Amino acid sequence: MKEVRGLGAALVGVALITALIGLVRPWLDVPSLAVSYVVLVLFVGALWGRLRAIGIALIAFLTYEFFFVPPYGTLLISAPKDVLNLLVLLAAAVLGGTLAAWLRDARLTAQSAALTTSTLYEVAVTALKARDVGQSLDAVVGATARIPGIESMTLFDERGEDKVAGPELPAGERERLRWAVRRQQAIGIRLKDGQVSFYRTVGTVSEYCFLPTSSGLIAVHVSNHPVSPADSRLLSALLALASLLLDRRKAQLEGERMRQLEASDRLKAAVLSSVSHELKSPLAALRAGLSALALPAAGLREDERAMVVGLDKQAQRLNRLVGDMIAMSRLEAGLLVDKQQVDVAEVIGVALHEIEPMLAGRTVVMHLEDNLPPVLADEAQLQLVIGNLLANAAEWTRPGDRIEIGTNHADGNVRVWVENEGDHIRPVDLDRVFDKFWSRRKQGSGLGLAICKRVIEAHGGSIGAENRRGGPRFTFALPAAERVPAG
Amino acid sequence: MRGKVLVVDDEPEIRRVLKTGLGYQGFDVLAVATGEEALEEVRRWRPDVVLLDLGLPGLDGFEVLRRMPDKSRVAVMVVSVMPGEKDKVRALDLGADDYLVKPFGIQELSARIRAVVRRQAAIDDGRPVIQAQDLTVDLERRRVNVNGRAIHLTPTEYEVLRQLAIHAGKPVTHTTLLREVWGEYAIGDRYNTRYVVAQLRKKLGDDPGRPRYISTEPGVGYRLETG
Repeated sequence: MKEVRGLGAALVGVALITALIGLVRPWLDVPSLAVSYVVLVLFVGALWGRLRAIGIALIAFLTYEFFFVPPYGTLLISAPKDVLNLLVLLAAAVLGGTLAAWLRDARLTAQSAALTTSTLYEVAVTALKARDVGQSLDAVVGATARIPGIESMTLFDERGEDKVAGPELPAGERERLRWAVRRQQAIGIRLKDGQVSFYRTVGTVSEYCFLPTSSGLIAVHVSNHPVSPADSRLLSALLALASLLLDRRKAQLEGERMRQLEASDRLKAAVLSSVSHELKSPLAALRAGLSALALPAAGLREDERAMVVGLDKQAQRLNRLVGDMIAMSRLEAGLLVDKQQVDVAEVIGVALHEIEPMLAGRTVVMHLEDNLPPVLADEAQLQLVIGNLLANAAEWTRPGDRIEIGTNHADGNVRVWVENEGDHIRPVDLDRVFDKFWSRRKQGSGLGLAICKRVIEAHGGSIGAENRRGGPRFTFALPAAERVPAG
Repeated sequence: MRGKVLVVDDEPEIRRVLKTGLGYQGFDVLAVATGEEALEEVRRWRPDVVLLDLGLPGLDGFEVLRRMPDKSRVAVMVVSVMPGEKDKVRALDLGADDYLVKPFGIQELSARIRAVVRRQAAIDDGRPVIQAQDLTVDLERRRVNVNGRAIHLTPTEYEVLRQLAIHAGKPVTHTTLLREVWGEYAIGDRYNTRYVVAQLRKKLGDDPGRPRYISTEPGVGYRLETG
């Protein structure tokens, strides 16, 4: 509409100039009066571009020829001088119009580039300043909605279910949105090499376009009005920014979730530690008291002393049971294991030392391979496993019997085995020995070997039982770690 | 040997039991319930050993350790129910001499107290030659002997052994070893200490599965056994 009105004004301009020249000419016949047309053409070029400027130049040229070049009232030319005059006029008009139009384009480009830059600058500053990604996303949504031809922008999470920023979509658009999310395919919009383009899917009425990104979905409501090339550059930049901010939002949410998980781990650990404190404190008093009463200085009779020693043994047993139950709860709570490079031989030494009182009279034979590579493991848990296997062997042997412990490594695995003299395990029970609360004896807790299995599996290893000629053997394997050279 | 032992525990039953039990073993025992009282009694009563529970209400065990006056004269043995490795390391780094996990038998406790007291006396001597069973570390001449046989160590191995020897009988943390032997920048790289200790054990003829000289304190560090 604007252009048509403009064109009308230009025609009126031609008519006015023609009339003015007609009025002035009887007194002042100067061919250069025709230059007034050039001024008009310059204006048209500067306002509406090159094509219209050339059109007006032609119209002006014909009008001048018709009215002011003899023979008047025709489009014929009698004098050769007039031909040159007219051609110069035409050339000046066309050239001037073209130049003016060119200047106009340059000005418009500069203006739109400045607008793109300032809009992006504002949005980027807001996005960077805002502590909350939500605010940054709102800024991008606001800037996008100000682009002519764009009604609004709405951002969703990656499942397309939660709206993150922007106005609600009409209920009818939900189906298309879900389709775009499911297929991870854009609808109505293309983003290629930083250039955005729209293609109509439902005719010429305004419509919603959907663009899935790496961690969300962008819905753009496009109106009938076409988006200019400059604006489409701005739009593609804003779309890229929105996509980046959606990534950031997702990362933030995940970070928060991790923190919550860690907090719940800390809570579990705190509860377990308080429970174990409550269970073990009375045992501490019992053990210290009973072992003190067993001292000669306590002055008990021999039979009383034997009784107190027996009670102390029961307290120790209870302590071991409580320890097993807490260890099992820890494993079941899924508390993270603290993995370090561990020297298996060293851990065997510690476990053996801890278990010493239970080994009374048994002979322990060791077959430790030289230059065993380290394993990546939680040292305390590995010690618990080896300790439990040794305690199990001690339980199934009598004083004087042999317990053997050995290590070897092959195929990137470090293997540790504990074998004891004694009765074989029934073949059907070879797997069941690792079940929780399953015990070969009535008084066993059924936790020791179950703990071993869980710890080893949590470390990505395997554990099993077999019957060897001398007696049952338990073997576990853990992946070997890279050996780190010492500095 | 008579020694003065200050028991610090908030559980009345433990206080009573340890007072009587350690009394049977020939120690002078004073038992208090709080960290504040403990600090006061360390100044006033001048015990040889403080048996400090880490889980005290109010001023906790770590804080008591931090504020302990005259750390070189009084030995501190930390006791705790299920202490994490980090707690043990922290206590040792704050100057504790040893730790013991509850529950424990009274014989074990008194043996550890005696070892701490003996060590305390040895430190006062300031001897340049440290004897651990048949292992001799001569700090002045930088010589190491096992059963009279000279052992050749690399400078790093000697430094690790020297650190263990000057604290003989006491657990030395990985952090301390790394800081003293490799320098501040090495802190956190535990595999260094493990590797060097493995080499040391080999040269000393020590079996990691049944160590005689250098025992492992799981998750904490190493200890030179004095026998």
